[in-house]
Amino acid sequence: MEKEIIEHGLTYNRRRFLSSLSLGIGSIALGSLLIPDIFKGSQSDDVADFIPGLPMFAPKAKRVIYLFQNGAPSQLESFDYKPKLRDMWGQELPASVRQGQKLTGMTAGQSSFPLVGSYYDFKQYGESRAWISDLFPYTAKIVDDLCIVRSMYTEAINHDPALTFFQTGAQQGNRPSMGAWVSYGLGSENKNLPAFTVLLSKGKGNGQGVYSKLWTNGFLDSIHQGVQFSKGEDPVLYLSDPSGLNRHDRRKMLDEVSKLNHMSYEEFGDPEISAKIQQYEMAYRMQTAVPEVTDLSKEPDDIVKMYGPDCLVPGTYAANCLLARKLSENGVRFVQLYHQGWDQHGRLPPEMATQAKDTDQASAALVTDLKQRGLLDETLVIWGGEFGRTNYSQGKLEKDNYGRDHHPRCFSIWMAGGGIKPGIVYGETDDFGYNIVSNPVHVHDFQATVLNQLGLDHEKLIYKHLGRRYRLTDVSGKVVRDLIA
Amino acid sequence: MKSNLKGFAENLLFVLNILIVFFLLFESKIVIPHWLIPVGRMHPMILHFPIAILILAMVLEFFRFKDKYQAELFYQRFTSNLLLIGLISAAVTVIMGLFLSKEEGYEGSILQWHKWTGVSIVLVASVIYWCRNFTWYNAPLAKGGAVVTILCLVLAGHFGATLTHGESFVLGPILPQKTMPQVSLEQAQVYEHVVKPILEAKCNSCHNPEKLKGQLMLTDEASILKGGKTGKLIIPGKPELSLLIQRIHLPAEDKKHMPPTGKPQLTDEEALLLQLWVKNGADFKRKVVDLPANDSLRKLASLFIKPAIAATPAYAFEAASEATIKNLNNDYRTVTPLAKGSPALAVNLYNRANYKAKQLDELGEIKKQIVSLDLNMMPVKDDDLKYITSFENLTALNLNFTDVNGSGLSKIAGLKNLRTLSLSGSKVTLQNLQQIKGFKALKTLTLWNTGIAAKDIEKLQDANKNIQIISGYKDDGKAMKLNPPQLNNAQQIFKQTTALKLKHPIRGVEIRYTLDGNDPDSLKSPAFNKNILLNKHTTVRAKAFKKGWISSDIVEFKFYKSAYTPDTIYLTNQPVERYAANGAQTLIDNELADLVNLNNRWLGFEKKDMEVFMHFDKPVNLSSVMVQNVSLPLFLLLPPAQIDVWCGPNEGNLKLLGTVKPAVPKVPGVSVYTDSFVGFKPQKVQFLKLRAKTQFVLLVDEIFLN
Repeated sequence: MEKEIIEHGLTYNRRRFLSSLSLGIGSIALGSLLIPDIFKGSQSDDVADFIPGLPMFAPKAKRVIYLFQNGAPSQLESFDYKPKLRDMWGQELPASVRQGQKLTGMTAGQSSFPLVGSYYDFKQYGESRAWISDLFPYTAKIVDDLCIVRSMYTEAINHDPALTFFQTGAQQGNRPSMGAWVSYGLGSENKNLPAFTVLLSKGKGNGQGVYSKLWTNGFLDSIHQGVQFSKGEDPVLYLSDPSGLNRHDRRKMLDEVSKLNHMSYEEFGDPEISAKIQQYEMAYRMQTAVPEVTDLSKEPDDIVKMYGPDCLVPGTYAANCLLARKLSENGVRFVQLYHQGWDQHGRLPPEMATQAKDTDQASAALVTDLKQRGLLDETLVIWGGEFGRTNYSQGKLEKDNYGRDHHPRCFSIWMAGGGIKPGIVYGETDDFGYNIVSNPVHVHDFQATVLNQLGLDHEKLIYKHLGRRYRLTDVSGKVVRDLIA
Repeated sequence: MKSNLKGFAENLLFVLNILIVFFLLFESKIVIPHWLIPVGRMHPMILHFPIAILILAMVLEFFRFKDKYQAELFYQRFTSNLLLIGLISAAVTVIMGLFLSKEEGYEGSILQWHKWTGVSIVLVASVIYWCRNFTWYNAPLAKGGAVVTILCLVLAGHFGATLTHGESFVLGPILPQKTMPQVSLEQAQVYEHVVKPILEAKCNSCHNPEKLKGQLMLTDEASILKGGKTGKLIIPGKPELSLLIQRIHLPAEDKKHMPPTGKPQLTDEEALLLQLWVKNGADFKRKVVDLPANDSLRKLASLFIKPAIAATPAYAFEAASEATIKNLNNDYRTVTPLAKGSPALAVNLYNRANYKAKQLDELGEIKKQIVSLDLNMMPVKDDDLKYITSFENLTALNLNFTDVNGSGLSKIAGLKNLRTLSLSGSKVTLQNLQQIKGFKALKTLTLWNTGIAAKDIEKLQDANKNIQIISGYKDDGKAMKLNPPQLNNAQQIFKQTTALKLKHPIRGVEIRYTLDGNDPDSLKSPAFNKNILLNKHTTVRAKAFKKGWISSDIVEFKFYKSAYTPDTIYLTNQPVERYAANGAQTLIDNELADLVNLNNRWLGFEKKDMEVFMHFDKPVNLSSVMVQNVSLPLFLLLPPAQIDVWCGPNEGNLKLLGTVKPAVPKVPGVSVYTDSFVGFKPQKVQFLKLRAKTQFVLLVDEIFLN
């Protein structure tokens, strides 16, 4: 054997060395053609520098409360004032305005598209003189804390894809939700509560479903999944000890299970096992933290008047807004609310009024409440649906009754706090409220901006999965700097 | 090579050398005729020949005196001829280069270096050529001469390439990128941070002090304002008259279009930005944020500024060690850096029950690094604030809902960076708050829910104009409507008696109720107490009242008594598949079906009547039967047209006990329970038959026997 090695060394002459060297250099060169970054130093490689759980730059906002108005509230009866639609009541939508926009199956067959203005009046409020409909009197009072964006647009025209697009950056689902990305990017602030929680409520209007895929962790670690808090005695399912088991026994059990889990982690090295250990421990701490957070009995009397009396009825939107504040105040990074019932294809005037009544006061109260605790600066509150509604009536147009179909080309949302410019109205739609004429904001732009406020560069918040790098904003999105204070 | 041809070439070389010297001596006086310009412009094309040929010739020259090669006649002749050819091409190239350098736009030290190294090649190599056959010309001289020539070639080549392609053309892509100093939007200037980078990237390779194309330099303010050969570059406020804007908007085919074809072009946004900048007066100092909010230049310019990475405030202090931070982190105390690479730390405490002052004391290790401290809801005492005294860089302190009364504020008055202080919900007193005058940097103070009167807060605000005091929600005195009372009973069906349990989430609410179906009011109706027992079918109507509030809507709860449950029950007609529920048992399971989700737990009949038989093992003393069903007339869900009840000892021996014709509810679009009651004289019953006549669709939930 030794001889063979010496022999091999002797036959390895200069010529062979050079020829194999050239081959080696050639393959390195080829390799670098295929993977351009192969020789890039780690110095400039910011992606590698990103540490999950730490902002990339100083954040303006530490936490987000997203008040999702599921079903798509009409922008034309809320924040986008279009007097011209009233003047042209019942007239046909000009083709030059529609510009071939594809319609949903619900109105595609309609022979006529009669324009319809808002049933409700608008007035100007605050120093920003923003127009707000009479349906939102409480929101109107805090208008100087709000940044109203009237020029949002999206790519989807039906609820589920549009909602999924807003939440995960893709229409098809299975990608991580915004909250999961934030949890991955920033980590938890409070080790006793999950970083991402979800609250659901149902309005009286025509509703659309929400599914747990909206708050999935996707391909991220399962600790980033949204944890749903429900009404009732057990806000978090399967959290309380079964009767007869005391806390001491529970601790002992967890310690033993943890030992076993550690053993199997050492054997297999599966990160999901370590996630499991962490989840058990967090659940144990949540057993004391959750009752403390969900306890509303210590809230001052003012709170009831602020949020409205429903805030003490578990499962209502108002109660969820109050709970959202308490969770956020306790370091939950991302509180995701969904309020169903905004899908007004018909009977819009009465249904919109009920929906607004159920949500207006509590939404505004949440902003005020954060502000009076000095928390609005570091908490970003977002209110909005998944798309807008058409400027023409779906179904028969009557004097007091009409409906509006889905409209992806423009809609309105508002944001408050978290380093977003207060008291501004951004973007503009045409007189028909159909197309955007200035400062369009795509869903990905919105997501990029939210991440930016949290100290995360949306182009660098990346997770590599199945050989591809994924982002919340996929391959596009620009931070809308005009919205940033 | 034939000797006469070679002689001619040697003469030519001599002439060319003279010509070069002549050009160099009278460079400033020479004017290149128009037709010769193309000859000069062929310089960059021809120059590759002399480089290649001369390098090869010089390598041969270097080894010329080796014994092996000295005897080789071919080697010697080839070297000589090659050197001569190389020299002639080099001389021609130099002359062309001199022509080219007379064109506008070539100036500066790099050009000089290129010129003189280029000329040196011809001179040095010519000397070598003429001396190489003398006897004193030996190996060291040959080697030295070859090295010097090659060195000149390399240098001239390098400087020439720099002139054509700009500096670091070759290594640029792999050298560390020159990064723009990151600025936040607030600090960014339109010219310095937006316009200049565009010029640098797209214009300056030709318009710099080294290469003054069109006698135009775009590297600094003075030269931009001066303009070039054709005139002023910029007329502030008049983009359509400014050469800069005219040129970039010429069609790409146009000779005068800038940047020239083949060079990196301006993007549409960049072109528009330059135009807007000129239109706005081509200001060199103005900040982006000084422009009006709706200004298009501002909007566009802000897109060019990279995300606010630079907004990370710079801190002068050192970072704490990772180990220290790790040690201080525990289940109820989070210590995290503000951002990646930032030495600043944010500390949050959680869980009231686990709070100890020691948790603050331990933070002394990172007292320099803490910039934000969140003690929200912790039972912090005024005395505990002494641990915070030395947190010199603290900017935000959250003491909301803590136990402080403000007497300890003096301990933190020296924090010269404290900007935000939150005292909402604390026990802070007006008197103790007088100290905030001493808080020099304080900008925001929250005092909501502190028990300090609104007018006192106003006074405090007047006395401290530089602090924004947030007093929070103020009750506008407008009465708000209460929500209705809620039912706390787990079951609305009971066997003998049940206690009525009503509740209201708001403290101090009075609930008034009726049991007779009338509307409750605040005067005549009794107030709810815990001792109300129900012992028959009852409709409870209740309303909530509280002073200062508008009383609630009336809410209605139905209670059903179900004293007897038959031992056997069966149907003669099967229910429709969609409303099969749990068969006949559904009728006596004592569980109320949902009014919203009708597919669940309702027993449904279509076209057929419901006929049900019930049997008791032991006779019961029966006095009434009640059938409960759902009505939604709009969707053809109607109560039965008629209900008949028979009883007897067995199936074959029945007598009719009673009949009822239920009324159809008035509101067609709302689903409601309709209860049909059949009462009769109390009697022993062992066998019961009930028939409900279906009108369109009949949905039944329960049958109550009493």
